[in-house]
Amino acid sequence: MRVLAAVLWKDLVSEWRSRERVVAMLVFSLLVVVVFHFALPGGATARNASQAPGLLWVAYVFAALLGLNRAFSIELENDAISVLALAPVDRGWVFLGKFLANFLILGAVQIVVAVVFAVFFQLDFSGIVPQFAGIVALGSAGLCSVGTFFSAMAVRTRFREVMLPLLMIPPLLPVLAAAVEATVGLFTEGKVPPGSLQLLLVADGIYCIASFILFDYVLDG
Amino acid sequence: MTTAHANPSPGRALRVSGWILLALGLAFAILVYSAPIDSMQGVIQKILYVHVPSAFAAYLGFAITALFGILYLWRGEVRYDQVAHSSAEVGVVFCTLMIVSGPIWAKGTWGHWWVWDPRLTITLLLWFTYLAYLLLRSFTEGSERAARFAAVYGIVGVLEIPLNYYAIELFGEAAMHPDNLERDSLGDGMRWPFLISVLAGFAAFAYLLLLRVDLTRRRAILEEALLDD
Repeated sequence: MRVLAAVLWKDLVSEWRSRERVVAMLVFSLLVVVVFHFALPGGATARNASQAPGLLWVAYVFAALLGLNRAFSIELENDAISVLALAPVDRGWVFLGKFLANFLILGAVQIVVAVVFAVFFQLDFSGIVPQFAGIVALGSAGLCSVGTFFSAMAVRTRFREVMLPLLMIPPLLPVLAAAVEATVGLFTEGKVPPGSLQLLLVADGIYCIASFILFDYVLDG
Repeated sequence: MTTAHANPSPGRALRVSGWILLALGLAFAILVYSAPIDSMQGVIQKILYVHVPSAFAAYLGFAITALFGILYLWRGEVRYDQVAHSSAEVGVVFCTLMIVSGPIWAKGTWGHWWVWDPRLTITLLLWFTYLAYLLLRSFTEGSERAARFAAVYGIVGVLEIPLNYYAIELFGEAAMHPDNLERDSLGDGMRWPFLISVLAGFAAFAYLLLLRVDLTRRRAILEEALLDD
C-alpha cells in the first residue's frame, strides 16, 4: 500500500509541476472536437446530439492514449523504471499507483471535455450529473487499467506510440461498447441500461485483477 | 527435444503429418469437386469446405498460443514459446483465409460483402488481436522479453473473447451465421466432403505448425552458432 501511495503521489506531483500531460491531452481532445465539427454533416451542434455520447468516448480514448503513452516513458529518464521494478513489493502495487495517477489525470481532462461537448451539442445534463460521472469513472477505470498495463509493455518496444493503441484497443472494445451504450441510455431515457452497467463492472474487475497479477511479467528494469 | 537441437533435420512428426496432409488433400479435392451443388445457393456454397475448416484451424491456433504462453510463463522454457509464436502465425494465416473467403460467400448468399454479425465481429477482433501479438513480438527488443510480453498478450487475448462476445450481444446485432452444424443443416452427400475438409484443415494446420516450429529452432541454433563465433 505504501508503494501505491508513493507512486501515485510522485506522478501527481510531477504532473502538477510540469502540467505537460494534462495540457497536451486537453488541447488534443479539443482539437478532436473541432475535427468532429467538420466531419459531421450539420457540424458539432444540437442537430447531432444523438451522436454525442459515442463521439465523447472517442475523444476520451484519444486523450487517454496520449496521456498513457507518457505514463511509462517518463520513467525511462535516468532509468527510473529499473528502480520501480526493484521496489521490494509485489509489482501489482506499482501498477495500482500508476493506474490511479492516470485515472485522476484523465478525469481532470474528461470534466473539461464533457463541458465543451455540452456547450457544442447542447446536451442537457440536468439531474444526471452523478450518474454520468459514475459511468465515466467506470469506463475510465477499464480504459486506464488496460492502458497502464500495455503502456508498460509498449515503452519497451520500438514505435511505442504506435504499439500502445494496437495493443490496447482490441481488449478495450467491451469497455468502450458498454460505456457508450450506458451514456446513450442516460441521455435518451434518463437511466442506465443494466446490461451495460454489468458489462462495465465485469470488464473492469477482470482487467484490474488480471493487470495486478500479470504486471509482474510486464515491468522490467 | 535435445535431439531436435543436435540434429536440425525435419522430425518424424513433420514427415508423417506431410504425408497425411497429402492424402487428405487429394481426398479433399476429389470429394469437394464431386460434392453436390446446393439447390438454393449454387456452386458458391462450396466455399463452406474452405471457410469452416479455416475457422476451426484458426481457433485451434489461438488456443494453442494461449496455452503454450501460459506454459512458457510457468516453466520458462524456450520451446514452449517457439510453439506459441508459430501457432499464432499459422493461426493468423487461417484466420485471414476465413475472413477473405467469408465475404465472397456472403455477397453471393446474403447480398452484402460484410454484415456486423456477432461471429464475424468477434473473428475480426481476434484477427486484430493476433496481428497485434505478432507486431508486439517483432517490435520488442530482446528475445526473452518478446517471449514474456507475447505470452501475457496471448492470455489477455483469451480473456477478452467472452467480454467481447457479451459486448456484441449487448449491441443486439442480428446473427446471420447458422447456429450449428448439426446433421440436418448439411444437405445430402455433403457430410463426407465436409468431414474430410475439416480433417484436411487440421492436417494443414499441424503440418504448417510443425514446419514453423522447425524453422524457429533452426534459426535459434544458427543464432547461437553465430554468437559462439
